[in-house]
Amino acid sequence: MTPLRTIAVGFDGSPDAEAAARWAFALAQKVGAEVVVVHAVGLLEHAAHREISAEFEATVRGLIIEVGLDPKRARWHSSDGDPCSVLLRATDGPVAADLVVVGSRGQGSHAGHLLGSTSHELAEHTVVPLVIVPLEA
Amino acid sequence: MLIVSGPTGGSGHDGKDHPERPSRIAAVMAGIDRLHLGNDLHMVAPCAATMAQMAPVHGSGYLSELAAFCEAGGGNLDPDTFAAADSWLAARRAAGAGLMAVDALRHRNEGVAFVAARPPGHHALRDRAMGFCLLNNIAVSAAALIAEGERVLIVDWDVHHGNGTQAIFWDEPNVLYVSTHQWPLFPGSGAASEVGGPQALGRTVNIPLPGRATGDVVRQAIEEVALPVIEDFQPTWVLVSAGFDAHRADPLADLALSSGDFADLGRLVAGFAPRPGRLVLFLEGGYDLGALEMSVASTLGALLGEFSQPEEPTSGGPGAAMVQQARTERVESLNRSLDIASTEGNR
Repeated sequence: MTPLRTIAVGFDGSPDAEAAARWAFALAQKVGAEVVVVHAVGLLEHAAHREISAEFEATVRGLIIEVGLDPKRARWHSSDGDPCSVLLRATDGPVAADLVVVGSRGQGSHAGHLLGSTSHELAEHTVVPLVIVPLEA
Repeated sequence: MLIVSGPTGGSGHDGKDHPERPSRIAAVMAGIDRLHLGNDLHMVAPCAATMAQMAPVHGSGYLSELAAFCEAGGGNLDPDTFAAADSWLAARRAAGAGLMAVDALRHRNEGVAFVAARPPGHHALRDRAMGFCLLNNIAVSAAALIAEGERVLIVDWDVHHGNGTQAIFWDEPNVLYVSTHQWPLFPGSGAASEVGGPQALGRTVNIPLPGRATGDVVRQAIEEVALPVIEDFQPTWVLVSAGFDAHRADPLADLALSSGDFADLGRLVAGFAPRPGRLVLFLEGGYDLGALEMSVASTLGALLGEFSQPEEPTSGGPGAAMVQQARTERVESLNRSLDIASTEGNR
C-alpha cells in the first residue's frame, strides 16, 4: 500500500462537512499528507460565489487551527459542478487525491433515502478509498 | 404552424424563492402570446411519461426512488435541486410533453414544436437528479426516436453544458450532441476534448465559450465547429435544448446574448432539419422572466417567419479565439482516440 499523499475532503459548510474536515486534518497531521478542501460551486452559488467561498474558507482556517495542522499542508479548491462530480474529479487531474473524505449527510441528504446522498453516489463511483465521517466523530 | 406541447409546470414543483419557478411558464406563454398566431397555434395537452417510455434513459431504481422521495414530501436533492410532493408528476409531464410534441409533428409533417414545460431536463443523469433537473426530457424524446430508426441531432444552446444528455448518449452513434456553453461554469463538464464514446466517436461536439461572449461568437462556434459534423451526420430529426439563460440579463451566468440572438440561432438550427415538421425545441434554463418572454417570442417568431425581435442581435464580444481552440482540441482528441482504438485493434 502506497503512503497517503493527498486527501480530498468535501466541504459545503454543513456541520457534517465540518466533522469530515476535522477528521481529515487530524489524519493528515498523523500521516504527513496534504489536505485539499474541495468545494462544489453549484448553479445557485454563481452570483454569490466569492462571498460564500470567503465565508467557508474562513471556517476551514479555524478548523485547521483547532486541529493543529500546519496551514501549509492544507489548501482550498473550488470547482463548478455538483458535489459528487466535483469530488470524483478531485481524484484525477491537478488534485489527484488518493483518499476522499466526506460527511455522512451534506446539504442534499435525507434519512431513509439514497437519493441526494453524495456519500452513496461516491461509494458507487470512486476509484480511490472513501471515508464517510459521521457527525458524532 | 407552431405546436406548443404544454404548458405544464406553471403550478406545482415549486421550490419557493427558487429561480427555477412556476412563473417561468407564464413568461414563456406571454412570449408566445406576443406572436398573435391565431389559427397557426396548436396547443397539445401533455400526458405524463410512463415508466416504459422513461426506461431507455433512466434506471428503474432511480425512477422508483424519485417517486418514493416525492411521495414522502420531497426536499433538496443537492444544494441546487429540489423535489416537492408534486414534482414526480410535474417531471413526468415535462418528459411526456416532449413525446407528445414529436407525435404531433410526425402526424402533421409541418410546422415547429415547442415544449413549454418544466422542470428542465438536460442536467439529469441516468441515475441522478442535478442542476434543477429531475428527468431528462429531451433524452426521453430522442431515445424514442432512435428506437424507431431515426438519426437525432440535439443542439443545446443553454448557457450550461448539458452533461446529462451528453452522458446518456455518450456511446450512441444515432445521436449527435452539439453544445455551446459558458466555460468555466456549472456543471464543469463540456470540454472540447469530450468527443464521444468508442461506438460514437465524434458524435459529441462541445464548444466552450468565455463569459461576455456575444451572439456572433455563438453562431461562429456552430457554423465553424459543428456544421461540418452535422452535414456529415445527416439528421432526420432536430431537437433543441433551448435554454435562454445565455441572455445578458440572466442572473445565473455571464454570456451577453440578446433576445435577437436567439432568433438568429433558431433560424440557423432550423436549417439543419431535413424537412418541415422535424424540429422540436425544449425549454431548459432562462431565469430572468422578462428576458425569457422576449427570447421565446424572438426565437419562435423567427422560426415562423414572424418578426418579433425586441432586441438587436449582439456582436463584438470575446470568444473567437476560444472557438478556434475548441476546433483544435477536438481534432487532437479524436486523433488520440483513434490511435488508441487502432493500437487495441492490433493487439
